[in-house]
Amino acid sequence: MKANLMFRDRDFDIKAEPCFGKAVLTADLELERIIVCMSRGDDTIKAACNAALFRPLPSPEDISYRQTVLMDALENPGPVRRLYEITCETNKKKSGSWYWLYPSQYLASTFSSAVGLLKIYLEMLTEFRAVADESLGGFKSEGFVELLTMLQRELSNSYLESAGELLEELKDGEGLLVSARLGCYLQGVDYVLRRKETAHFWRNWAFAPSYSLAPRDDAGAKDMGNRRDRAINDVTNALAQAAEHIESFFNMLRDELAFFVGCINLRDSLSALGMPICIPELLPAKDEERSWKALYDVSLALTKNEAVVGNELSASAKRLYIVTGANQGGKSTFLRSVGQAQLMAQAGMFVGAESFSAPVRNGVFTHFKKEEDKAMSSGKLDEELSRMSALADRLQSGSLILFNESFAATNEREGSEICRQITQALIENGIEVFSVTHLYTYAAAFLKNEKTQYLRAERLENGERSFRVTPGEPLHTAFGEDLYRKIFVKGGELA
Amino acid sequence: MFYSILFPERERQERPLAKDVPDCFRDLNLDQIFMPLLERKKRFNLDGLFCTSLRDPVVIRYRQDVMRELENEDLFALVSHFSETVFDLGVKLETLYRLLGSDKSYDNNYLTRGRMLYCAELYCKEVSALSEGLNGLELKSSGLRAFSGYLNEYRRSDFFVKLEEDISRLRERLATVSYNMLINNGTIRVRKYEGQADLSVQVIEMFEKFRRDGVKDYHKKLSNEPVADHVEAAVLNMVAKYHKDIFADLEKFCESRLRFQDATITRFAADVQFYIAWLDYIRSLRGKGLRFNYPGLSENAERIYNYQGFDLALALKTQGVVVTNDFVLDAPERIIVVTGPNQGGKTTFARAFGQLHWLMSLGLCVPGSKSLLYLFDNILTHFGREEDLSTLNGKLQDDLVRLRELLDNATERSVIVVNEIFSSTTLSDALTLGERMMDAFAELGAPAVVVTFLDELANRGKETVSMMSTVKEEDPSQRTYKIIRKPPDGLAYAMHIAGRHGLTYEQLSRRLKA
Repeated sequence: MKANLMFRDRDFDIKAEPCFGKAVLTADLELERIIVCMSRGDDTIKAACNAALFRPLPSPEDISYRQTVLMDALENPGPVRRLYEITCETNKKKSGSWYWLYPSQYLASTFSSAVGLLKIYLEMLTEFRAVADESLGGFKSEGFVELLTMLQRELSNSYLESAGELLEELKDGEGLLVSARLGCYLQGVDYVLRRKETAHFWRNWAFAPSYSLAPRDDAGAKDMGNRRDRAINDVTNALAQAAEHIESFFNMLRDELAFFVGCINLRDSLSALGMPICIPELLPAKDEERSWKALYDVSLALTKNEAVVGNELSASAKRLYIVTGANQGGKSTFLRSVGQAQLMAQAGMFVGAESFSAPVRNGVFTHFKKEEDKAMSSGKLDEELSRMSALADRLQSGSLILFNESFAATNEREGSEICRQITQALIENGIEVFSVTHLYTYAAAFLKNEKTQYLRAERLENGERSFRVTPGEPLHTAFGEDLYRKIFVKGGELA
Repeated sequence: MFYSILFPERERQERPLAKDVPDCFRDLNLDQIFMPLLERKKRFNLDGLFCTSLRDPVVIRYRQDVMRELENEDLFALVSHFSETVFDLGVKLETLYRLLGSDKSYDNNYLTRGRMLYCAELYCKEVSALSEGLNGLELKSSGLRAFSGYLNEYRRSDFFVKLEEDISRLRERLATVSYNMLINNGTIRVRKYEGQADLSVQVIEMFEKFRRDGVKDYHKKLSNEPVADHVEAAVLNMVAKYHKDIFADLEKFCESRLRFQDATITRFAADVQFYIAWLDYIRSLRGKGLRFNYPGLSENAERIYNYQGFDLALALKTQGVVVTNDFVLDAPERIIVVTGPNQGGKTTFARAFGQLHWLMSLGLCVPGSKSLLYLFDNILTHFGREEDLSTLNGKLQDDLVRLRELLDNATERSVIVVNEIFSSTTLSDALTLGERMMDAFAELGAPAVVVTFLDELANRGKETVSMMSTVKEEDPSQRTYKIIRKPPDGLAYAMHIAGRHGLTYEQLSRRLKA
């Protein structure tokens, strides 16, 4: 039985290895705040959202499947939360019981634990069935409809009943019926636990020859224990594995539902702030078009707990985006909003915008200038370059990389040249680059490159910052020229 | 008619083996060589065989041929498996026969009978497998050929044919038995099995729909052996009530087939371990590139030699890291005098000489690529302990007493190994005594190795051959452990050392002139 909410054709692995640079991405794009909002203190949701965000889906089809399920979840928050709660309750009941499954314990303990656990699971499966029966009508997506009908089909009344009966018989203390054959020296071998016939059982066995242990026959008692163990060895394995299977079914369902509950939580928070969300449109990887309306930094909105400014863009056939402009003008916020949206979109989530359209990327990387670190006084450029080198090992055609004031730790000429050469190499190799910089020489180097989109943090006429980033080429703030003029041209006294 | 794989004739096998460890074992480190091997093969009781040297070349060759043949890996595996299995079966059967003779049901029950049936079945299988295996090979040694012939005859015998028939009939009948136990609170009831459904399968089917990958295995490793024989026997007793004639058949089998094994085959299984043990033991050294060979046997010591020989005890200790050495004695040469720097392998060389002869006399393959060795009557050794200077006089006396004993026991058929005696007296004493000893050995006419610090002994007469332990030319502090034919040169090493300190005559002269 599969949940298939996250993928049409495979399981969602919450423990899968995250993409490269998860910690760096989380810090640079300030994703922690978003995940905290989604999980609201629930570790499972946190893990599921992390797993989804840091395993970006490469195929627009997979994304679209998840988006449809997501839309269904956003429409039916009640039943989705209820299903998720059942999986959590199951887990709680299991932890609260004295039933443990681990292969090193006594076989008899494994046997009774497995039976006990299976009883709990059967009870909870019955509750699933009830939710499915009540809420199926409200769902439209393939994922949810399949899941709920599957629950109805597989957990029919007759199934639940006969499974319950089987467990009752296993709990029954009237002795084990074991078949055996003669081994090489006539010892009993091939022990198989048998089902007791219901009719005439005791009439048949009452007159069978019997052997009873003498009191204090320790060796005999040990033999009897071993005999039972051999008899229940297979069935214990089968029961314990069944319990494990069902447990992992519950866990899988819990992990997948957790992601959608997280999305519902985030949606609720953002709409309380009056911020828009939209289901993004993902283009094939080869496309070089990006357009959005009111794209904002979700993390900033959640942190400030108020509405924030969004940006608009419509770019076509671009591979390099260079962002310049005033300090504290919203460049970093813009860069983060792009990174967040890309990751959220490829996780099958909604994004923080009125509309958003972008190609899928096979990897999202960030290279942000590090805040001044006192402990590391020297070698800053060295450190930046070594980080870049580590990224270069992973970058490939179709990746997206976000630079924030990179390689500015040296003078402008050197920094620009390093930046230029790196950037040039990246874009020529099919990598999409967003670069926030104040290195004019670098920024201006691509003025003739048609695949470059220049953006600038806006400054209003009165000198105030609007925190908007709009198309615009870099401005050469020519202090030297000014000075020269000031000294030489104006009066000419010094000449 | 085949009797033994160790001796070509029956009466030789029946002669008693040495009970005590021979005197030379300690000096030659033969005890170090044999101890681990005998320990490992303790149950086969091979000690006497390794302590009893043979003089008869016919017996030695009989063994050499068998062992050479057993170096064939397939044959070795075949025989080795047979030997261990059948020997162990024999031990087990002895216990079972005792139990079957008992009138207590605690011992004499269907389980015991089942065990005897099983042993008999294995025995027949092993005998047939070995016989067929041997028939598939072209055997050369008279020992193995004769044994193979014996086996073929045995397998055709009425006794064996009937034994196999009985076993397979019983097996077929017992295979039809299956039963149900109802186990409850210390009571077991038994009935025939009547096709009741497998509960595990039902559980698996019931929960199959939840199946996912990567679950743990909750099976316990439980042995199929009953924990308490009396409970298992009690169950069998109840099972027997439902199959009276089958179990009666088994009972008849056990009564009529008590002690069914063939004595000659049983003897072979134990005796052949003599070869198996040795080949097994030296296998790892061969893997390290050390050679073993089957020595030629010399009746008169006109010529004896060994090439690429080594001290086996040392090789076992160092796991094959040893230097090999050659020696050749051509009449009138009989006595090898070894001199040269200490720690250079002299004693090792002398030991190897003695070891080679002892191993040859057992019919074993010996260290070295090629050899011709002397058929001796006794190996006499005298190893002085030069480290111990605390009891000077007492020790010289002891040396002489022991030398006297040695000479009293020695004949021209002896092999003599003497190591560093008279080291505890003055040089002139040592020289006089040493020369006397050399003269006595020369007169005796027995081959000998003498390790000494007295260069003079190496030129004693036409019987002596001088050999020296050597050092590296470029760095005299490094031993090569090579012992080569060379006139004694006790000063060369000292001069090297002096040279390194700039204290040779020329060096010192120059230095003093400067």
